[in-house]
Amino acid sequence: MTTSKTAAQLRQILASRKLERVVVLGANGTMGYGSAALFTTAVPEVILLARTKAKADEGLAAAIKQVRSPTVALRTKTGDYENDLARAVAGADLIFEALTEDMALKQEIFDKVEAARRPDSIVATVTSGLSINALCEGRSESFRKHFLGLHFFNPPNVIVGTELIAGRDTDPAIVEFIDVFSQIRLGREMVRAFDTPAFAGNRVGFKVMNEVAQLAGEIGPLLADKLVGPYTGRAMTPLATLDLVGWDIHRAIVDNVYANTKDEAHATNKLPDYMAKLMEQGVLGNKSGRGFFKKDGKKRLVLDPATGDYKPEAEIALPELGYIAEVAALHRDGRYKEGMQVFLNAKGEYAKIARKVIAGYVAYAFNRVGEVTESIDGIDRIMGLGFNAAPPSVLVDTIGIQGTVAMIEEAGLAVPAALAETLRTGKPVRFFNHPRINIGRFFVAE
Amino acid sequence: MAAGSEVYVLGGYQTDFARNWTKENKHFSALMRESVQGALEVCQIAPEEIQSAHVGNFAAELYCMQGHLGAFFTEVDPAFSGLPTGRHEAACASGSIAILAASAEIEAGRYDLQAVVGIEQMKTVSADVGGSYLGTAAWYELEAKGVEFPFPKLFGKLGDEYDKRFGLKDEHLAEISKINYANAKLNPNAQTRSWYMNKDHALCRTEDNPAVGGRVRIADCSQVTDGAVTIFLASREYAERWARGLGKKLADIPRIKGWGHNTSRLKFADKVAESKNSPYVLPHVRSTITSAMKRAKVADVNGIDGIETHDCFTTSEYMAIDHFGITAPGESWKAVEAGWLEIDGKHPINPSGGLIGAGHPVGATGCRQVLDAALQVTGQAGAYQVEGAKNFQTLNIGGSGTTSVSFVVGID
Repeated sequence: MTTSKTAAQLRQILASRKLERVVVLGANGTMGYGSAALFTTAVPEVILLARTKAKADEGLAAAIKQVRSPTVALRTKTGDYENDLARAVAGADLIFEALTEDMALKQEIFDKVEAARRPDSIVATVTSGLSINALCEGRSESFRKHFLGLHFFNPPNVIVGTELIAGRDTDPAIVEFIDVFSQIRLGREMVRAFDTPAFAGNRVGFKVMNEVAQLAGEIGPLLADKLVGPYTGRAMTPLATLDLVGWDIHRAIVDNVYANTKDEAHATNKLPDYMAKLMEQGVLGNKSGRGFFKKDGKKRLVLDPATGDYKPEAEIALPELGYIAEVAALHRDGRYKEGMQVFLNAKGEYAKIARKVIAGYVAYAFNRVGEVTESIDGIDRIMGLGFNAAPPSVLVDTIGIQGTVAMIEEAGLAVPAALAETLRTGKPVRFFNHPRINIGRFFVAE
Repeated sequence: MAAGSEVYVLGGYQTDFARNWTKENKHFSALMRESVQGALEVCQIAPEEIQSAHVGNFAAELYCMQGHLGAFFTEVDPAFSGLPTGRHEAACASGSIAILAASAEIEAGRYDLQAVVGIEQMKTVSADVGGSYLGTAAWYELEAKGVEFPFPKLFGKLGDEYDKRFGLKDEHLAEISKINYANAKLNPNAQTRSWYMNKDHALCRTEDNPAVGGRVRIADCSQVTDGAVTIFLASREYAERWARGLGKKLADIPRIKGWGHNTSRLKFADKVAESKNSPYVLPHVRSTITSAMKRAKVADVNGIDGIETHDCFTTSEYMAIDHFGITAPGESWKAVEAGWLEIDGKHPINPSGGLIGAGHPVGATGCRQVLDAALQVTGQAGAYQVEGAKNFQTLNIGGSGTTSVSFVVGID
């Protein structure tokens, strides 16, 4: 955790409110039970609610499995909305909503919450797609003052990067308290994001994945994923990540961004047609057993986006990509700057394609400053600690400002003002200023 | 360069102990490079300034099939070509032994600025193979050969000895585990910062918290990991010049005020037999702690604002509590119950999370403790800062209480 506050200030803010009882709504969903398990590390009582008690019990069983501790049960109770919500919510310090991403459904439950909650209890939503302001529109002043977005990434007990989104009327003291509570008691890395479509992390992170998915339509998933592989600064390749996340989740996020934003990279957020078509046939990524990749025993099969057929990886011919092995060898020895110089100078159309995606990522992130977060630091930390990908600032620092600008220009993109300014003045010398976050972890040697 | 100089700790850099360098497909050389380069950057020291380098490491020959570790310095930066280097080993106390050697060279007036790297890459092998390698820190043939996870068993016996002499409750051990895990959540480089733990889980007696060594369960154990920590030690003359360059005063720079270093007999049973008539279960560990205090001119633990101790297991922290003199021998539980060990308690122990929370890359631990102590006394420990700390003491143990080293790091 990389707070700018002193330990004494953090403890003082933590002591300013009591947070001992949490109610999780939608406790049978992945985010519901995952978050419930996380809360049991910090508070004595967590109540898991779902449409039926049986479903809430399923959530509890999943929570126990997720963190591998039967002791989750010692701190939890389960119930349903009809019989238990009013009493549970009345006694809760924090009501955590994790229902399906459906505005009407959430409103229905918020009606019940509003009727039952104490005026000082905090209401948080884990939504990744709906607007925080829209979700609390028309609610009482007390509700709006105590309402915020607390966006854990999946799985919540593993990924520490977390977005905190205040609404127009959220009491700043409440935002501050949840920020500090999440840091100290839940060990979260907190990023304040603005109430914009997909917030900060998903806006920037899924843009890259979608661009690689578009690329896969042209050059095939295997090559596309290899080009934007770990050596470019990520723990997992983009399309393997997309399969893990699920095509439906990916679609919900990029469709939301595509429909509700208009930025310089609009086209890269459009879901490829072949994905929409394959989704109709039930292709959803790992959860459906097939996505860009499919397992066949120990073998990995690769999707042909044009036909929907799969072919063994070994049978797919790849062009000469020797530069990737060269970069990886340098990363293996911890020579990340040298590795990225090889990437920067690699010849051939495919290296150029890879640079275009990375340049697009950096430029897109810097252009979102002021729109999705206050500064590049928020985007950096959520990309690093939410997506396990090299933060844009780390890439600029590692590649160098000249190299970065050259790469953006080569890609035919406009150079973000902040980077153009740095090229001109030489300042700041470094964008990523967290000496206690290792940047080497982001550059994986394949 | 004058003999008799005090030894200053300029600062350093820790790699993230949550990282698995095998998964990143990285070589030992990358671990070394990141920690040394990170330290140079943080401390704003040019590589040309370093006059000598020491590496503390337990068993790279086993884990990484790599020896001659001091020489890896020459790979980190061209400026290190020709640098005097060496490697030191004393099991889990290897990092501290390297610091002792480097300090002695400064005190002798040989060098003004030294780099000390504590380093271990351990996730290269499976848990049982690694456990067996760790067994070489005991008398392997007599205590570890053919034993699955020998060390939890040895430290389980430490708990048994406490139980026999004074009585010991599992709930006190669970509380120690809970505090270390909770503190680790505040440390951006702790191994366990996203692991699931609370007191209930530490007390859990199912297969989700299996027994691995008698009364010692997984939640009682520190866990091996990959990590490196580089610190810079300097003479008074160098420290003064360096401080001035950064607009600081010498008085702001922490120094090693005192050290203690003892070795007991290798076999745990022999240690226990030797301490039969001592009020302390491990009298040589006690002596290490008190000699560091004496050299630092600190009367007792009340002159120490916080401790980074070697909690390889909850039983070793339980032992440290009375051996530091926080309670009378055998009464460590009183400090646990009183809440004294927490960051804002009377005697904070392991605000970093210690070995249990922050992780235990064996050879790196001694250096990690001294770095954390230096961060604490300069107010740079971030969210795990002990308010107003001036003196911090470390305790680093190799084997089953065999080699012990302690440092008092403080500002005046």
